[in-house]
Amino acid sequence: MTTCDEIEADKRSEQPRLVRLVLFFVMQGVAVILVGFAALFLSFEPVWSAERLQSAFLKPGDARAGSLLLKIDEGYADAARLGIDVDLTVSGPTVRARVTQIFRNPSKDWVEAIYVYPLPAGGAVDSLKMVIGDRVVVGDIKERQQAKIVYEQAKQNGQKAALTEQERPNIFTNSLANIGPGETVLVQIEYQEPLQQSGDAFSLRVPMVVAPRYNPAPVVQSVDFKPEGGGWGLVKSDPVPDRDRISPEVLDPATNAPVNPTRITVRLQAGFPLGDIKSHYHAIETEKLDASTSNIRLVEGPVPADRDFELSWKPAAEKAPSVGLFREHVGDSDYLLAFVTPPSIEQAQQKPMPREVIFVIDNSGSMGGVSIVQAKASLIYALGRLQPNDRFNVIRFDHTMDVLFPSAVPADSEHIGRATSFVGALQANGGTEMVPAMRAALSDNSGDANYVRQVVFLTDGAIGNEQQLFETISALRGRSRIFMVGIGSAPNTYLMTRAAELGRGTFTHIGSVEQVEERMRGLFAKLENPAVTNLVAKFTDASADITPVAIPDIYRDEPLVLAAKLDKLTGSVEIKGRIGDRPWTVTLPLANAAEGKGLSKLWARRKIADAEVARTTRQASPDETDKAILALALEHQLVTRLTSLVAVDKTPSRPSGEPLKISELPINLPAGWDFERVFGERQRVPATQTERRADTEEARVQIAALKRAQPVVTQAPSTVTLPRTATDAELKMISGVILLTLSLILFVFNRRQMSLR
Amino acid sequence: MPRFILPLLLALIGLILFGQGAYIHAKALLAQVLLERAFEKTIATGRETKPWSWADTWPVARIEVKRLGARAIVLAGSSGQALAFGPGHVEQTRDAGERGVAVYSAHRDTHFAFLKNVVIGDEIDITRHDGRTFRYRVDTTSVVRFDASGIDPLADGYHLLLSTCWPFDALTQGPERYLVHATMIADAPGSR
Repeated sequence: MTTCDEIEADKRSEQPRLVRLVLFFVMQGVAVILVGFAALFLSFEPVWSAERLQSAFLKPGDARAGSLLLKIDEGYADAARLGIDVDLTVSGPTVRARVTQIFRNPSKDWVEAIYVYPLPAGGAVDSLKMVIGDRVVVGDIKERQQAKIVYEQAKQNGQKAALTEQERPNIFTNSLANIGPGETVLVQIEYQEPLQQSGDAFSLRVPMVVAPRYNPAPVVQSVDFKPEGGGWGLVKSDPVPDRDRISPEVLDPATNAPVNPTRITVRLQAGFPLGDIKSHYHAIETEKLDASTSNIRLVEGPVPADRDFELSWKPAAEKAPSVGLFREHVGDSDYLLAFVTPPSIEQAQQKPMPREVIFVIDNSGSMGGVSIVQAKASLIYALGRLQPNDRFNVIRFDHTMDVLFPSAVPADSEHIGRATSFVGALQANGGTEMVPAMRAALSDNSGDANYVRQVVFLTDGAIGNEQQLFETISALRGRSRIFMVGIGSAPNTYLMTRAAELGRGTFTHIGSVEQVEERMRGLFAKLENPAVTNLVAKFTDASADITPVAIPDIYRDEPLVLAAKLDKLTGSVEIKGRIGDRPWTVTLPLANAAEGKGLSKLWARRKIADAEVARTTRQASPDETDKAILALALEHQLVTRLTSLVAVDKTPSRPSGEPLKISELPINLPAGWDFERVFGERQRVPATQTERRADTEEARVQIAALKRAQPVVTQAPSTVTLPRTATDAELKMISGVILLTLSLILFVFNRRQMSLR
Repeated sequence: MPRFILPLLLALIGLILFGQGAYIHAKALLAQVLLERAFEKTIATGRETKPWSWADTWPVARIEVKRLGARAIVLAGSSGQALAFGPGHVEQTRDAGERGVAVYSAHRDTHFAFLKNVVIGDEIDITRHDGRTFRYRVDTTSVVRFDASGIDPLADGYHLLLSTCWPFDALTQGPERYLVHATMIADAPGSR
């Protein structure tokens, strides 16, 4: 009896123990799996972000835009802010701009001012003047290093000096040394730019603010390459060594009044009777002098420099002139600038080829505010325009990326519906990893030659690694054509135009919600109608140096713009091409060309852009490119990547012994931007980010690209991005084994219980 | 029998997960056999030969480390699809034997698992798709971030880089890459 009872009691006490044991195993298994998956999907600690921690107080080192920066050692002086005066003269095919910045030093110290500002990407900067009191100092063009030495020397000697350097084709830096207490300094830049023409409308654009950029900062973690590596090895240094010098503070519009008042006046000498004149983002007052000349100024007087100024005008006549020919004689050469708009020919008999359109939308933090609204509206409009026999796909990216469909799908109502709700739900947040998105858009898996492949890329272009994007396009473009759609009040036009050029497409700018429909309609006319292809230009008598070397295809309503350097101005130029399947020829007699101004500089600027493109596409070596650019820049007095303008006042003004302080001035956030989306919650917090690539089965990798707009001054070093080389095989197998073991334990336990009964 | 459902379910999920993991390894092993054949054919015919009809890549080189008895066929491109089958020749880097840097990349747990055993001084033979063989000697190893490799594909000299994920025993993806750097010492005998 007793023994029996004991056994019974033993069993009863054993049972809960076993249950507890099993429960323990279950919990342990679940925990292991959870931890495993969490580790797979979550990111690691940002251990490599040490360089981020440097700015403890609100240094301006986190955003760049165009303005004079006034920095004093201990922080910010309540410095007087910059006044800007932009004076534009349109004559015939070109616009000459004189940008004057008025800077007052209200402090009691001698200061060095550093000023970062945007200019149009196609602008040729050829003049720098510094006005101090009643003295005017004119700048000389020099090689960049040499100019820097001259400037530094003058700075040491206490002489006033100004230096203009190019950071990007559309971002420049001015440095001004030795501005005395209470002094006022004027810096005057002049540039030349060709007008934009689209259909009947001519337009010009003045960028006013450099939007804060996102830089996928390569931060090197550990290095031990051989020291005698012959120049190859690891970049240990900061990719932007002088970031603090050139990074203006961006003011939070919620707590600061706008700064940098800007005055704009335009003298418009169109050369033909003027019709409608329109400013897209500013209210203007037009004073008509005669039929073809008008003076334009801003209604409100000075406006804050927080959005681009765009002016467009149409001829009074029904049609704009479709041909323009202008010449200039400089030295012993003649320069020619030709605008030709090919006729719009409908493809009546032949049905257009169906298209495969890949839409890419940027939903990074810089797109916050109205930009994302514009981008979404544009994309939804575009989806509605697809034909049933077209195919499409949608890619969205910030620092992560999603591809909506595994491959391009037919544009039927179900797919369009899914895409529309996908786009409608997008929120702007995070960094801007544009390169992986471009790679995904260009991966042409089907390769179906029955479809015309087009990539429509909607972004504000606020990145600093432009060169990386260009190289991606040039390497992977295949048969795809890239149509850039610039969104927002201050898009990066250099990125847009160069990307479109390399991708053999076009650039469309949408600056407000109202413009969405009109501009997207224009873009679709370009997408749907045949381009003018196989273009060649031939001069009958003169030997000519033509740019662009390879004439790009021309889309509907766009003009062909051609610049050439000629030895003599006789004969004619013949332009041949194909519109769809029809040949097209036009002959322009050179004798009829009208006198133009600054055409030689435009030719040189265009040649420099050609050289940069050749470098990107690896057609020319970096050395050859640099040599070509340097020769052109020195001959035509242009500021380039390799040349700077420097002006030095002969008489020293700063008494020796007086210290010199560096001064920086803050700038506005571009209009419509959301400060918190760009800089975080009113203070910059290191954000870790994840990258998701759509082309692999694995989920996410942590990347150390920090959400931080960094100065975009130096080009990102061209480095190889290594692919991801880990599989989750082990993880899967281990969790599989754990689960199997667990089920086995449960199974055995259940069996035992069953048999006990 | 509701009490059997849980263990059965767990067993099923476990099997699926294990199967997926094993599938990755199986794919990697099987593909190499097919790739080896395709590569032999490429060398013989001098034309790009796809290892199987639907492949979107083709073999471009063979990596061999004689000391470890390790070998692998390298594929063109380093997309996720290609890397599942074999090491990839990273886009925009040079071919082996050319002036500059050739970068090959593969998964740490399959084709490049042998990299953890590679030591400085090891010789790596690369056979190109045109049949020429080049010998490299390992001189350094390092760990870098994937987006800060600092590799300039146009650097002077003749370099080879093998890259894989770091650390080797980690179970998850990480941003770090292990690089084995080697410099060409000679065209291997009898290569031409």
